[in-house]
Amino acid sequence: MSIANFHPNDLLAILPELALVVLAGVIMTMDIVLAENRKRLLGLTTAVGSFVIIAAAVIFSQPNGELIWGGMISNDMVAFIFRLVFIFAGGITALLSVDVKGVAHKGDYYAIILGAVVGMCFMALAADIIMLYLAVETTGIAGYVLAGYVHRSSRSAEAGLKYFLFGAATSAVMLYGLSLVYGFTGETNLTAIASVLASGKVGISVILASAILILVGVGFKIAIVPFHFWAPDVYEGAPTPVTGFISTAAKTAGFAVLIRVFITGLTASEYWLPILVALAALTMTIGNLLALAQKNIKRLLAYSSIAHAGYALVAFVALSELGVAATVFYLMVYVITNLAAFGVVILVSRSGAGEEIAGYAGMSRRSPYLALAMLVAFLSLAGMPPLAGFFGKFYVFAAAMKAGLVWLALVGVLNAIIGLYYYLVVLKVVYVSPPQEGALAIEVPRAYSFALVILSVGIVLLGTAASPWFEWALSAAQGIF
Amino acid sequence: MIPTTYYLALSAILFSIGVIGVLVRRNAIVIFMSIELMLNSANLAFVAFAREFGTLDGQLMVFFVMTVAAAEVAVGLALIVAIFRSKASIDVDAVNLLKG
Amino acid sequence: MEAVSAAQIIFIVVALLTVATTFLVVTVRNLIHAALWLVATLFGIAVIFVLLDAGFMATVQIVLYIGAIAILIVFAVMLTRRVMQDVGPQSNENWWLGTIVAAVFFAAISTLLWSIRWPALPGAVVGDTVLALGRSLVDPNQYVIPFEVASVMLIIALIGSITLALPGKQSE
Repeated sequence: MSIANFHPNDLLAILPELALVVLAGVIMTMDIVLAENRKRLLGLTTAVGSFVIIAAAVIFSQPNGELIWGGMISNDMVAFIFRLVFIFAGGITALLSVDVKGVAHKGDYYAIILGAVVGMCFMALAADIIMLYLAVETTGIAGYVLAGYVHRSSRSAEAGLKYFLFGAATSAVMLYGLSLVYGFTGETNLTAIASVLASGKVGISVILASAILILVGVGFKIAIVPFHFWAPDVYEGAPTPVTGFISTAAKTAGFAVLIRVFITGLTASEYWLPILVALAALTMTIGNLLALAQKNIKRLLAYSSIAHAGYALVAFVALSELGVAATVFYLMVYVITNLAAFGVVILVSRSGAGEEIAGYAGMSRRSPYLALAMLVAFLSLAGMPPLAGFFGKFYVFAAAMKAGLVWLALVGVLNAIIGLYYYLVVLKVVYVSPPQEGALAIEVPRAYSFALVILSVGIVLLGTAASPWFEWALSAAQGIF
Repeated sequence: MIPTTYYLALSAILFSIGVIGVLVRRNAIVIFMSIELMLNSANLAFVAFAREFGTLDGQLMVFFVMTVAAAEVAVGLALIVAIFRSKASIDVDAVNLLKG
Repeated sequence: MEAVSAAQIIFIVVALLTVATTFLVVTVRNLIHAALWLVATLFGIAVIFVLLDAGFMATVQIVLYIGAIAILIVFAVMLTRRVMQDVGPQSNENWWLGTIVAAVFFAAISTLLWSIRWPALPGAVVGDTVLALGRSLVDPNQYVIPFEVASVMLIIALIGSITLALPGKQSE
């Protein structure tokens, strides 16, 4: 027992996570205390609380790059950026839920979102395979509950079960991979694992086998080919705010784990890198090609999010400071943009227009501002300048080119063109097709217009003033190499 | 004494049977039981390795895996019961799962 | 070849039984039977834990896995009773693919394991395992953070499963 080694500053480092747990407790209490007609406050409190926590984190929890809490977590800048992104995504998701039937007035729904955010934060922080596995499972379990939350709708319950079975099976495979890593290095700490691997005592086949097994679990989280089967069905069936949350924050958390395990831990990259390069190319191409045929907006966004995981992976396989910085920046952009897209989808399906793309006909005449938000989000997803998505893709392809992966960058550019096509098809429906008879303006509650304004400004800001954000990501990436 | 390889071989066999169960069976509860088998075989490997190295880390991991398994069983079975209530069937159809 | 010790005989018998029961879990048609074979498998693994000097883990395995998890599964089987006598096909049409994947996996892992030769195991690990385990779970320099995250996870699971399993109001 060495309680003497306890530093109070270590508590400050995990202040955001502690505050999130407290906030979840407050929400649960409010759920009991508040009258039924004031339950809208639950979502608003979650959102405001999350933004306050972001501010507090920036002021009090600046990372120092050290391994703390017995080497369990790594308090570095990469983790810090990821954590801010997760808390932001959680807050926006809560804001986008306040008027959605079935979830809006449930305290436990918001508490589980906050719990998922805590899990994701620890996924980004984890520096030890035990911590890593627990964080992955915490996020996973919260995700299964959220996907199946509106369980009286059989679609949602089915989505939850599908997510659960795929998630539990792939994480069991990952656990076996972790057991091999532990077994052949004798260490659980990722840094220590890296130094054992560097000594050359562990054979190639072992590293390759554990890398593949771990990749199954991580691949599920980030939904890359061939572990993407669950994504369209789960995204379609889950409540739409949850779809937005899973497709942005949970995917980003998976990338955080990817960076931790494969850059900090399994450093012997020459063995597993070709697999990831091939998967990046496949993921972009298959995601985009399948998206072309979709008629349902949630399925379209599901396939497009598979493709976006592919782009982020392109930057990752560059395995350089520039590559990691491009991955981090791309994910920041992707989270903001995709949340905006899902915000619009939530509002349209709330108005009764459904989730088919045909239901978006003539939206520009019914609700010009909402259509504008959709234009910004979709053009950014497509990678049009001067929006954030353009610079995201620019840095990704630049990193790949610099690492000598010219063909992969070319595949990426071709894919971006395919992507542009189907995003423009949707925008054509929104702006050119005539509205259906008697279609009214889409009601936009104030919480939603606030969220969409924040996100749209974010998209423009990350695009027009990209370099300070990218510098931030670059300084973070330098900390882990 | 028994070489570690034997324990690991047993764990690999159990894990493979679990994988077969997950990939082949259609009933959600059976798939779930197969996942439990996979977790258990990983636990077996962790305990065997922990003894190999004479450290406790492996056993601690097993402790946490069991916690995770308990949480998973609660959520998973709640989902299965919820689905059963709305649909009266818990078949996971492969066609449905692999729909493009 | 030295004489076969009692521990080796126990290991071989238990291992064979465990493999057999595991095989039954994934093949039998009746879900209750499958759950009971699962209990047998879990018990077999507990015995193996004892052979590996992990007595505490064996206890937890029996209390938690058999006492809680397996029993919950039996409950779930009974709550979803009508599907128990399911007469339809028990396997999906891609069963051959699944079997091939599992076979390839097994071949790969066993080649891997056989390529590495460890010496026979030394004696018991550390003195008081339970005390050391308990201390490391609350030591800020060891596993206190995973321990706390596990508690967050359990609370999420608790709230979540109550919400999911509650028979909600008919009108929402």
